[in-house]
Amino acid sequence: MRPAGDGEPRPASAPGGAGMGLSCLGVSFCYEEGGTQLPALRDVNFELPAGGSLALLGASGAGKTTLLQVLRGLDRPDSGAVLLDGVEPDGAAYAGLQREVGLVFQAAEMQLFAATAREDVAFGPRRLGWPEADVATAVDAALDLAGLPAGDFGERHPYSLSGGEQRRLALAGVLAMRPRLLLLDEPFVSLDPGTRRDLVAVLEHLKASEITLLLATHDVDLAWSLCDQRLLLTDGCVEAAGDWDFAGAGGSLLAANRLREPFLVELWRRLGRDPGSAPRTSDEAAKALA
Amino acid sequence: MTTSPTIVPLIDISGLQYRYPGARADALADLDLQIGKGEFVAVVGANGSGKSTLARLAGGLDKPGAAQRALACGHDLLTEAGRLAARRDVGVLFQNPENQLVAQCVEDDVAFGLENLGWAAPEIRRRVDEMLARFLLEDLRLREPHLLSGGQKQRTALAGVLAIPRRALVLDEPTAMLDPAGRREVQVAVADLHAEGLAIVYVTQEMDEVVAADRVIALERGTEVYSGSPSGLFADTALVRRLRLGLPAAGELALALGERGRGPARLPLTMDELLAHLEGSA
Repeated sequence: MRPAGDGEPRPASAPGGAGMGLSCLGVSFCYEEGGTQLPALRDVNFELPAGGSLALLGASGAGKTTLLQVLRGLDRPDSGAVLLDGVEPDGAAYAGLQREVGLVFQAAEMQLFAATAREDVAFGPRRLGWPEADVATAVDAALDLAGLPAGDFGERHPYSLSGGEQRRLALAGVLAMRPRLLLLDEPFVSLDPGTRRDLVAVLEHLKASEITLLLATHDVDLAWSLCDQRLLLTDGCVEAAGDWDFAGAGGSLLAANRLREPFLVELWRRLGRDPGSAPRTSDEAAKALA
Repeated sequence: MTTSPTIVPLIDISGLQYRYPGARADALADLDLQIGKGEFVAVVGANGSGKSTLARLAGGLDKPGAAQRALACGHDLLTEAGRLAARRDVGVLFQNPENQLVAQCVEDDVAFGLENLGWAAPEIRRRVDEMLARFLLEDLRLREPHLLSGGQKQRTALAGVLAIPRRALVLDEPTAMLDPAGRREVQVAVADLHAEGLAIVYVTQEMDEVVAADRVIALERGTEVYSGSPSGLFADTALVRRLRLGLPAAGELALALGERGRGPARLPLTMDELLAHLEGSA
């Protein structure tokens, strides 16, 4: 199921580039509770080309967080496989590729633990066994990228930071390991609008540097502005994959899954314009309308 | 849209100060807050500006550091007895419904507060039935809380909070973790409660939710820097930026149009207002 994207996506199997290609082939996963199998993912298939960006959408309980954990390799699928740069899980290079998949958990700031911001971010790279000089470079670069310059923030205690800064520090901890595929679970929840704008800018920068992005969120407006494609889950099944398809059934599919159309798409519809060519941002919309 | 002024505010706070143990700065400093009977007040501000602290103090859940005056529904929040009484009159609903549900099924959860207050069983049953009907939970009354959707969980928590008759309701980002449908369910429930005359203090990061309030209060580093209509706040784009807030989506687009010389005279805050401008100027 290769989603139709615009432009020329790089093949999912192209190795070594900035971004990693991801193929999810027939992945199923069950939780077990008191001897009962609770299916959380059922035969999930999709492909995300290297450098692509995908919004993972679905109602609460649809399986978004479970899918992210399976993609990161924290849970093993009961059947099916996650291919990274086209490499199968039993391939020799797979463990190395898995280390290049970063996952930013929901409310990731709950997992900060070190005495300084710098030490917290250094934890991951050190665990990967990098030489200390490389760790230091990676930490500074990651703090910079997350909008927390090491000179100002490096020695701060994580708990002395604001909620938004803590969220970005947790992101820096993942970025320090130089992921080529970045998975984010509800990164915008509880952030003030200013901090959301900052985080969007960070993600846009990563996208421009062709890191592959996969973003689970309820915020359809931000998802639409950031992600080329979407994957819609219903009760652990893929309801739709690929293009947003607002010219077709895309909007009603979102509504049927406790979501809604992005504001700008609804506006285009109500203005009698083609919702299939709705703008992604206010600026694009203003340009088209002015 | 503002409510008529009342002589005795339901929440009447002046010079409120609070500092977390070990913190270097005050979470709230010299804060004044008056909420009238039946008023719907939104509270906004950057992460760390003191919104949640204020919500907890107004609900009698924490002891103020100091205040010239701190009354909630007539109870003195500076005394232990006053805080206990305030907790009875002021309901507080938090962001994460998971942390607020305690019982094995929905109806037991809604009954929990009443049981603690020692209500008689028949009265509890009557009140719980009323709340389940009110928040559209009747079909779910025997459901285990962990099997509910986010919106259903939050409605169950709200039913539990309001099973005890309240005079004011404080909500701290009640929709932050919900999908858009769950968000809508909570917003409708809150609008109905407001229409029935309950005073509402609604902490939020969602600018689209602010538009529904009678009045909005903006906090910066623990003090109030704006109190007035939502449209007045959003019209002051410099203040909105400084406070790390944003505009409702309609306002955001209107602003971008303004940069191209096509902006409306009055900032639209909803899609309908924006459409009226676009269709009027077409």
